[in-house]
Amino acid sequence: METEVIGDDRFGDEAYQRLFDEIMSDLNKAVLIDRAKLVLRPDVPLFIFSIALKSEPTLKTIPDVCNVRAEGESIHLTISQERYAPAILSALWGKYGRRSVFQQTRFDLDVSGAKEEDIAAMVVSSGEETKREILGALWRSMPEGIKNRRVLMDGNIITVVATEEILLPDMMGEGRKIHASMGGAADV
Amino acid sequence: MFEVMMYDGGVYRSEELFEMIEDVGGVVLQKNRSSQMLMVTMSVPGEDREAISKLCSDIGGVVKSVPLAGTEIAVIGPTLGRHHMPHPICDIAEELRRYGSVTVVMGLARGRGKATSQISAEEKAIIDEYDAAVFVMGNFKSCVEKKSELIEDIRIPTVLVSGPKPEGIDDKCEAIVSGVGRKASRMRTPPERAKLEEIADTLERVLRDRKRSLEEDPLFVHPAEVKQILEGYEPIDMCLRPSPMVLHLDGLRVKIPYREHREYLENVEVFGRKLGEVADIFPSRIDDSSVIIRIKTLSQVAYEDARRN
Repeated sequence: METEVIGDDRFGDEAYQRLFDEIMSDLNKAVLIDRAKLVLRPDVPLFIFSIALKSEPTLKTIPDVCNVRAEGESIHLTISQERYAPAILSALWGKYGRRSVFQQTRFDLDVSGAKEEDIAAMVVSSGEETKREILGALWRSMPEGIKNRRVLMDGNIITVVATEEILLPDMMGEGRKIHASMGGAADV
Repeated sequence: MFEVMMYDGGVYRSEELFEMIEDVGGVVLQKNRSSQMLMVTMSVPGEDREAISKLCSDIGGVVKSVPLAGTEIAVIGPTLGRHHMPHPICDIAEELRRYGSVTVVMGLARGRGKATSQISAEEKAIIDEYDAAVFVMGNFKSCVEKKSELIEDIRIPTVLVSGPKPEGIDDKCEAIVSGVGRKASRMRTPPERAKLEEIADTLERVLRDRKRSLEEDPLFVHPAEVKQILEGYEPIDMCLRPSPMVLHLDGLRVKIPYREHREYLENVEVFGRKLGEVADIFPSRIDDSSVIIRIKTLSQVAYEDARRN
């Protein structure tokens, strides 16, 4: 993740770059972000946090994150993307019950009495949910008092424009400019 | 004059230490036992310090200096939210505890934001109950300078801790320590530990000035002596709250309800006088479950006696 900070408070700029990197890593979102641009103007106050994701979050089904194969009367799953493991387990437990799901190792699961096509259709993460989590992480990294926020989102670019009181048109204009500079649409 | 020191060692022969503290007329301020290890913070007469230190080393422990012992310090952040509170504030509070202070961590109800941050009169009154306050602010210079308004009317000594070094606000607080702003992780690295020590040392210096001014016009009775007298009072003895009595530089906080125990506290005898005559006793602003006792100075008591006669 490359982070660019634009601001005129040297201490604050460095501190916020570090904070942003640490918070995104803590919340496991750094791996999803390709580039980030942070505009910090505490004197206004105006904060614009814009990120370009590596790819637009889309709906993920079990076969997207696991290898699935039928073995006798059960279905064997090998998890290939560990970050989805809790969601996979929760989806399988919800549909088949805990007694039917055997977790042999950290990555290997057996589901008895299941059909391969049913498991293949199960959704473990929607794109919307991922975007909401990323947005939550962005809000968490922003200063707490900057509560008036507007989100610009298209494709894999997410920009948050935030101020403390009234969000003026020129603030939104600046936000759109940053959004466009990251590769987003200018008329979002 | 009472001096505060800490014994750090084993429980073996610790009874001898407690006996000696009692014999010299000292007070145990805090006692923490963990398995076979024991830490005792005590207040003893200055002339007996050497004898106590000798006994401590004889029974296999060490004597540590706790320069902030006998004080209660508030560490305050703009809010209790994760943006402000968790890491630097807790680390600072922990460091101050290592220096012997009893610390309280506090967040303001509406302290967030630059233009909209506020502090209420109630909050100021609560903060004024402590010996000193450490205000921990953020990373932006303009924000810190603007938010210094929050500490303007605090009467107790305040230390401002912030990321950048603010300008033009030196008269609003006793000291400023820069280099600690909002953080997403604990302060573990050597430069960060050094910064924590700097904050504790700054606070020690600020409180030394306060102690010096108290020495110029001493209190009628030392808070540790009042603590000793009140220790036998059953509601305090039975109180399950941590540290039922907390020493302040000019008095103490007693964690029992004011309304129920006011009469006893006012009438308890201290060196031939009623405590109510030589101290101001009032309920804590936090709630009714604590009592603040502010001991009057000798000159104040003499002045009031002269006026009465």
